Amino acid sequence: MWKYILKRILIFIPTLIIISLLTFWLSTNAPGDPVEQMLGGIMGSEGRTTDFMATEQAYMEQRKKLGLDLPLFYIALQPLSVPDTFYRIPRKKHQEVLRRLIAQLGNWEYIQNYYLKLKDAQRLLFNLPSGGPFRKYRGRAYEIINELFLTYDTVKIGFYTTLLTVTADSFAYEFSKLATDTNLIKNPVQEKSAIEEFRKASRELRNAYLDMINNPEVWKNYVPTIHWYGTKNQYHRWISGFIVGDFGISYVDKRPVAEVIKDAVKWTALINIISVILIYLIAIQAGVYSAVKAGSFQDQILTVVLYILYSLPNFWIATLLIMFFGGGAYFDWFPAFGVSSLPETAPLWQRIIDVAHHLILPVIALTYPALAFLAKQMRGAMIQVLKEDYIRTAYAKGLPDKVVIWKHAFRNSLLPIITLFANVFPFMISGSFVIEYIFSIPGMGKESYDAIMSRNYPVVYTVVMLVSILTLVGYLVADILYALVDPRISYSKKR
Amino acid sequence: MTEQTTVKERQGIPQQDKPRTYWYYVKRQFKKNKLAVWALRTVYFLIFVAVFADFIANEKPIVMKYKDNVYFPIFREYLHTFFNVPFPEDLRNIPSWRDIQYDWAVFPPIPYSPQNIDLYNILVGPFDKQDVPSTRWRHWLGTDDLGRDIAAGLIHATRIALSVGIVSMGIAALIGILLGSLAGYFGDDTIRASRASIIFGMIMLVLGYFYAIEVRKYVIIDSLKESIMSFVIQLFLSAVIFLAFLFLGWLLARPFKKIKWIGERVFLPMDMLVSRLIEVIVTIPSLFLIVAIVAIAEPSLLLVMAVIGLTGWTGIARFIRAELLRIRNLQYIEAARSLGFPHRRILVRHAIPNALTPVLISIAFGIASAILTESTLSFLGLGVPPDTVTWGSILSLSRKYPESWWLAIFPGSAIFITVTLFNLIGEGLIYALDPRFKR
Repeated sequence: MWKYILKRILIFIPTLIIISLLTFWLSTNAPGDPVEQMLGGIMGSEGRTTDFMATEQAYMEQRKKLGLDLPLFYIALQPLSVPDTFYRIPRKKHQEVLRRLIAQLGNWEYIQNYYLKLKDAQRLLFNLPSGGPFRKYRGRAYEIINELFLTYDTVKIGFYTTLLTVTADSFAYEFSKLATDTNLIKNPVQEKSAIEEFRKASRELRNAYLDMINNPEVWKNYVPTIHWYGTKNQYHRWISGFIVGDFGISYVDKRPVAEVIKDAVKWTALINIISVILIYLIAIQAGVYSAVKAGSFQDQILTVVLYILYSLPNFWIATLLIMFFGGGAYFDWFPAFGVSSLPETAPLWQRIIDVAHHLILPVIALTYPALAFLAKQMRGAMIQVLKEDYIRTAYAKGLPDKVVIWKHAFRNSLLPIITLFANVFPFMISGSFVIEYIFSIPGMGKESYDAIMSRNYPVVYTVVMLVSILTLVGYLVADILYALVDPRISYSKKR
Repeated sequence: MTEQTTVKERQGIPQQDKPRTYWYYVKRQFKKNKLAVWALRTVYFLIFVAVFADFIANEKPIVMKYKDNVYFPIFREYLHTFFNVPFPEDLRNIPSWRDIQYDWAVFPPIPYSPQNIDLYNILVGPFDKQDVPSTRWRHWLGTDDLGRDIAAGLIHATRIALSVGIVSMGIAALIGILLGSLAGYFGDDTIRASRASIIFGMIMLVLGYFYAIEVRKYVIIDSLKESIMSFVIQLFLSAVIFLAFLFLGWLLARPFKKIKWIGERVFLPMDMLVSRLIEVIVTIPSLFLIVAIVAIAEPSLLLVMAVIGLTGWTGIARFIRAELLRIRNLQYIEAARSLGFPHRRILVRHAIPNALTPVLISIAFGIASAILTESTLSFLGLGVPPDTVTWGSILSLSRKYPESWWLAIFPGSAIFITVTLFNLIGEGLIYALDPRFKR
């Protein structure tokens, strides 16, 4: 038995690794830049170079803190045209544009040169004077540069780089016209040199662009290279943290993910435990009753009711419950949203009653489909068992009905119920996913919905991994219970 | 055939008009279950509604006479969308089909399209007073917050629900039958391959991935923006490149067959591989995964179908695997093998057809759960583009307007009824296929 359990746990490991890889891969393909998400967007057209440098600095630091400056995985399969240090380029958007340029042209040296010149131009832009008539030119140049950072269409890049040189020229012309206006220009020498530098940068950018498109090396895209990055990569960082219980930091509120989940899990656990207890209590009774009276009027009614309950979509019932009993336009019997309306300072028993009052509707919505399903299975299993010879023998011995049903029949019909125990975990999680969203319960389901919606990947990863582990544990527990209930099953003999 | 029957007739053997197949018995058994038969008929009706939705609920008349010409505007619409045939001069730029001066016109039973906005009747219930010219134009099931007719929305959404159910289960059945039969028929001890071909296969798998996916990544992504057709073509091209590399690997491995260690043939544990894969898919919280994928990508119905199909095949695969594990030891398979038939032929012609019927059960329940998943997604505001009306999207509106009961009752009932119908059919199939229930 122990050997079997150990073997099963060892089999879990590859499964979990595959799941972790899948979630990780999914999140790397998601749009959006987590660092920008945490720090807010990029800088506006106003502001000085020092501010710009400070934002870049803050970006780099945050990126390092999240470990996003590391390569993605241990190993990378890339075309020869993509350098093995490509991951060092900050900002996901830029990486995307550069990758697309590489896919078209293949000449990384020239593309890199173009990108660096573009960054130079961006940095120098913030040195330019921005007062009075210059504001317009500076704003235009700013927009063009931003557009260039997002464009991989070579024709468009050509157009924008030319436009930038023209804009820089007209800037210089405007400046020379107004150079004598001392009110407007405080520091003519310095500002003039800033404009000249920017003009130079825009010319260089234009030349870099021309070099880039005139020297394509497309063949490099068709040569595969494999590069080994070692253990300093994002996946390794995440998974080794996960194993020791460090789940990372939430992108949204910057709290540790473990804390976020700890707060959420207590509500999910609470409603699910209540729900599971109710399910097993009612479903077993109903199923056994129905099976004992199989074919009778009561059984038929019960079967139909259970069937209807099983097919009713729970998000519909939840919506109807809120609409009719949750203070919509009809009966205001229960609070429709949240888990509690009393402050923390209220007496404990009042708070308990208040929470219970809030949870009645969600628990109903979460319980009934699983209940109906389980009762149906219980009935089927019980009917099979009641046909067996040993039940007839038990009756013939003159044992009371109660003993026959609960001691002889029930125990033997438990097997299918135990299998379902393993399915209860995932069922509950996906059930509470929708129910918690509808009733605004701050549990795991709602937390993970919000996390998916706000692309808060550390939370998403962690929840997927934890749920998968729970599911696997559920299967294992079901197997062990199987052996406990049915002595005929022995795992140690199996090969 | 004719000769044989005549011989039988001459010998006085009673003639059977048709050979009785397994299917015949399944059908007969299924027909005994009145509820399931009734459910199947209702599903036929729903399919009818889905196919002819444009003729049941549409703002355009079916037939009309206008300016001395007879037109069929709905057919015209089809010609326009599928073959790019322009509309007749008179019918262009019509702001409201209801208010033109027709000589005569026959409108569909529900004279509204799901996208039609009726500004005079916003959020009116079925029993409320409605601002319409006559009862002919009444909104029988009310309207939503933009004044769109609920009945029209429900009818057109039947199309979405059924197509999601059927297409996603089609994908799931394809994958499930393929992998399940490979696992069940071959087990861990039938297919053998030389170590050389495994090694070359692995290398070519990586190279094939590189040239088919990595290199063509942006071509494929951009083609999706262009049209579905070009996307399919690009995917097909990638598949061809991938398979070509695998073939190349097979060719390269051939000369090594005679060499000692590397040319030795070892068993490929098909069953183990597929079972592990099933375990992985089953372990991942699927609704969670679907929501995550759908939330990341651009909303599209195709994606929803694909994702539900790709996560929903495990039940089918398990069914067919168990069936084939049993069948592969039966005598007729042995007989076929001893006749020297190749595995491929035995599998496709003899083994799979006999394992297919139980899969129907899984497919029936699978369609029910796919429809449920789709409506859950659109209830959460995910999956389909925001302007598409689905059962789930109407239902989610009712959360915003709790006093409008019709926004909750009607779409919810539609989901409930459809799901129940497919569940009933599944249940009927269980009884039809299980010899224990034979009466």
